[in-house]
Amino acid sequence: MTTVQGSSVDNAGSLLTRLRQFVTAHRFFDILPILILVVVLVVLALFIPNFFNSRNIVNVFVQASTLGLMAIGMTVVMISGGIDLSIPSVMALSAIFGAMHLRDGGSIFVSCLIMLTVGIIAGSINGFAVAYLKMIPFVVTLAMMTIASGAAIWVTNSVSVPVFDEVFFDLILARIADIPRPIIIMVIMALIATLVVRRTLFGRWLYAVGVNVRAARASGVPTNLVIFLTYVISGAFAGLTAIILSARLGSASANMGNDGVVLDIVSSAVVGGVSIYGGIGSPLGAVMGAIFITVISNSMNMMQISFFTGLIIKGVVIIAFVAFDSLRKQ
Amino acid sequence: MVQGTQINRFNLTTLRDFLLRQGFNVVLVVVVVFYALTAPRFFTVANFISLLHAAAPMMVIASGLALVVMTGKLDISVGSTAFLTTSVGTILMVRNGVDPITTLVILLAIGALIGAVNGLIIVVLKISPLIATLGTMIIVRGIGLEITKSTTISLPEEVRRLGNASIGPIFVDILIALAIMVIIHLVHTRTSFGRWLIALGNDQDTAARLGIRVNTVSFMSFVLSGLLATIGGVLTLVQVGAASPSIGSGLEFTAVSVIVIGGISLFGGEGSILPGALRGVLILEIIRNGLNFLGADPYAYRFVNGAIIFIAMYADSLRARLPVTTRTFEAPDTPKSG
Amino acid sequence: MGNPYLEMRGVSKRFPGVQALTSVSFEAYAGEAVALIGANGAGKSTLMNVLGGNLQSDEGEILIGGQAVSINSPLAATANGIAFVHQEMAMLPTMTVAENIHISSFPTRAGIIDRKAMEASTAEVLTRLGCHFTPDTRIQVLSTGDRQMVEIARALLSKPSIIIFDEPTSSLTSREKARLFDVIRTLKTEGVTIIYITHFLDEIFNICERATVLRGGSTVGGGLLSELTTADIVHMMIGDVGLDTRSAKHSTQQREVVLKVTGLNRRGVIKDISFSLHKGEVLGLWGLLGSGRTEVARAIIGLDPIDDGQIEINTGSGLHPIRPREAQRWIGMVTEDRRNEGLLLPMSVKQNMSIANLRGLLSRWKLIDNRRETELATHFVNRLNIIISSLGQPVKTLSGGNQQKVVVGRWLELNPPIFIMDEPTRGLDVGAKAEIRRIIFELAEGGAAVLVISSEIEEMMALGERYLVMNRGQIVNELPGTSTKNELMGAAAGAAQME
Repeated sequence: MTTVQGSSVDNAGSLLTRLRQFVTAHRFFDILPILILVVVLVVLALFIPNFFNSRNIVNVFVQASTLGLMAIGMTVVMISGGIDLSIPSVMALSAIFGAMHLRDGGSIFVSCLIMLTVGIIAGSINGFAVAYLKMIPFVVTLAMMTIASGAAIWVTNSVSVPVFDEVFFDLILARIADIPRPIIIMVIMALIATLVVRRTLFGRWLYAVGVNVRAARASGVPTNLVIFLTYVISGAFAGLTAIILSARLGSASANMGNDGVVLDIVSSAVVGGVSIYGGIGSPLGAVMGAIFITVISNSMNMMQISFFTGLIIKGVVIIAFVAFDSLRKQ
Repeated sequence: MVQGTQINRFNLTTLRDFLLRQGFNVVLVVVVVFYALTAPRFFTVANFISLLHAAAPMMVIASGLALVVMTGKLDISVGSTAFLTTSVGTILMVRNGVDPITTLVILLAIGALIGAVNGLIIVVLKISPLIATLGTMIIVRGIGLEITKSTTISLPEEVRRLGNASIGPIFVDILIALAIMVIIHLVHTRTSFGRWLIALGNDQDTAARLGIRVNTVSFMSFVLSGLLATIGGVLTLVQVGAASPSIGSGLEFTAVSVIVIGGISLFGGEGSILPGALRGVLILEIIRNGLNFLGADPYAYRFVNGAIIFIAMYADSLRARLPVTTRTFEAPDTPKSG
Repeated sequence: MGNPYLEMRGVSKRFPGVQALTSVSFEAYAGEAVALIGANGAGKSTLMNVLGGNLQSDEGEILIGGQAVSINSPLAATANGIAFVHQEMAMLPTMTVAENIHISSFPTRAGIIDRKAMEASTAEVLTRLGCHFTPDTRIQVLSTGDRQMVEIARALLSKPSIIIFDEPTSSLTSREKARLFDVIRTLKTEGVTIIYITHFLDEIFNICERATVLRGGSTVGGGLLSELTTADIVHMMIGDVGLDTRSAKHSTQQREVVLKVTGLNRRGVIKDISFSLHKGEVLGLWGLLGSGRTEVARAIIGLDPIDDGQIEINTGSGLHPIRPREAQRWIGMVTEDRRNEGLLLPMSVKQNMSIANLRGLLSRWKLIDNRRETELATHFVNRLNIIISSLGQPVKTLSGGNQQKVVVGRWLELNPPIFIMDEPTRGLDVGAKAEIRRIIFELAEGGAAVLVISSEIEEMMALGERYLVMNRGQIVNELPGTSTKNELMGAAAGAAQME
């Protein structure tokens, strides 16, 4: 009798400890965005009858796909402790070069290749400057952002480059089992990126660099190479996004990568549990964050909250999440 | 032979050091000379006055940002602050009939408040300044767009006329901007607060060990940055004659370029308002002005801007890594007799 | 001789888990320099931090000029005429000498810094110190020695009657040192009381009149230096240890060289380092703090750049020169600063242990083989007897000893032929220390070559089969494993005397 009682008390005690551990450990913060997402979705279901209409849902996911892809690139950079502000403007520039090639009668394949290449080149420049010249990531990518968007405005004279190519549209936008390809691409990329950061040499090195560069170096990690590659990867994701977005919009323009987009990317990553201080986060989380941000924008739209109030809410969300993040660090 | 190569290398290093330390003065001279030769109307007094007129708001905004950067932090909410305060000011004057002086006082209070919020977030919540001010940048711009509904609102005629107020041939805003720069320069070089900013930029922990109240100093630098961003915004507003969403858009990035070109290190602890920040403003404005005279594609400006930031930043990082030659100061050798 | 100017009586201080000071008494006379001596962890810093107002003692009193005083903050210390010249200098490189000296309270007139007054008072102190730079010189361009002078100038500004010097010479050249001593002599003639903390025994006899020796948080001896010898002081520092605690050592038979370092140089840090390390050997790199031990290790594995020199490693087919960045494939280094340069604190035990050996864990698909990772980690956790709740536990939640074992385990997983252990047992309790030492022996037994750096002489004695003695960035002596404690201590201190 007494023994039974004792063990049940023990069980309850250990359960409580485990629960507390669960909440206080960083896992709680990892699921926080999902919790908030669930709450938001419930609120939306109650207040906006049309929100869960399947067309709207698909629409939200397609919108989220480009943001999500860019957020994956950003996540890789942020895990290493850096930041890449140039993703949207590089994306716009890539799209413009690719679209111009297509407009001038080039092949779809080469156009796509151009978009990817432009992104990778811009990323390599960023990476070289940060990893080997030891320049500050924020400023390097700020300069790249200005240069890329400047170049985008310059070559287009601020006019958008139309893309009229049914084959291209089909290739990129077609549905598979009723799901548009951009969503599938985003999901596949998120899975691959998660596999890479969790299970490969590069991924492990990436977290080690983000947690503590000096300790990583002392453990034999080629830290400069890792940092360089993160920017190349984010550049490549900018290029990939360019392909999808130019197909979706049917045009490419400098405005595709306006300053607001970079904020959305940072918000997605931060909301998705990626730490601005490096070493924490996952691409899958960032994609969740991107969906969350898109849902908020979309629902605010449907609730007829102005775009500007939306900005205010996003700003508060970013600061709140980073404050959480910094508390978690302390 | 060996000596010869050493002397040679010494000269090359001196040349490199000279270029790194004086690079932007050299650029300034080269650019001015180039434009003077190629664009006949560039090198005229009238053009220089109009150039300073155009640069006046940035002089003020960059001075404020410079104070923050000297501590090794960054404030990218300055553009939004300028936008919000000018929007509020215009609405107060146009819709509520508040007189310009009261309006100005209210605006300065708002600007300081935004700076204080930045400072508190950074000092109390210990959030990275970049992200904190990125957040406030979005929030503040959102508020501004909300209250103006993203429309352009013209200033009352009598206020608009101030935009071209001048004493003799010189616009009043040039004088205001220069006066503010001089004051900030004095604050930076001649007050305890100014020196503590530099101390923080050297190393925050060392500064704390020396008994400096680092949190207060950081906080105050953000308040001043918000205040000066507001004044810069007001100068722009009066020049433009209307509050519009384009005010302050992308301005934070231009201001950061000015800082970098002005030789104020983004690592903190190094730089000056005069001549540093002023030189930064002038170089950017002269390049823009000259490109204009040369009939360059206006769409290329942003690209050129970006390229200049990149070069400036590269020079900055090289300069930061430049080995500083130290030496021991010994007693001068007593001259040997015979 | 009259009454002591400064008296500390029965000072005790307890930190969680450690009794740092036990009823320590200390006295100093006006116009005299007192040397405060003791091995690492003897309580010198704690005692001086009590005097400087950085720490509050649990018991004991402080008398200055015969009056009991209460020193509960650095400010109170200053008010009582006490100035502290810290070993770690607080310099603001981009600012001028005058600004650095006055930074915490500028002389102002109507809110504006009175530059004239500031530079005048700076110039006055600088003249007193015999410095030849002007108040408007930037710290940036000053040598370490001159910076030390600025640090002293800052202390002098408050016109103190007691100045504490904490290891002031560890980074000075001999000329700079001579200048510092001149300054101290001048201060003494002005009636200032000097408390001088150092490891270098030669300096003590050069500049001090009196010595107080601490060991294990208690005063163990002291007196007038004119009545003491170096041997007396060394004896007081290390105590009565009759027998060496040496464990069974290997015979010094000829063995294969696995690491050969020739002419390693890094300007201003290490100079002309050459030595060989043999298979199965434990080589002790011995020297006082700041002698360049750690810097040699860091240079070998490429963590710090070198100006010239060659590193050769026997990778199986004789010695081959390698580039420093490649060295980490054959050398596992346990760094001195475990928290900042060893562990990935928020990451799991498993991930911390596999980080150096990830290449060896790749499967056919170039993915990390989780099962093997777990197996290997489990194996070494058991072998090293690391106490954890699970392999997924973040290392920041482990005790110091277990953390250190994780770092060691990391390199065991890689299984390199060479190990460098920099202060492998620092901050660990006795049990953990013994375990780490046992592991080092097992490594050598298994054929690995181990280079050990330690500040604790007992540990050196227990581990080393051969010792290289370092001083001011150079290897100055090589001693056999049979050397006694006094010989080792003497070599390091004597080496300091050779300067």
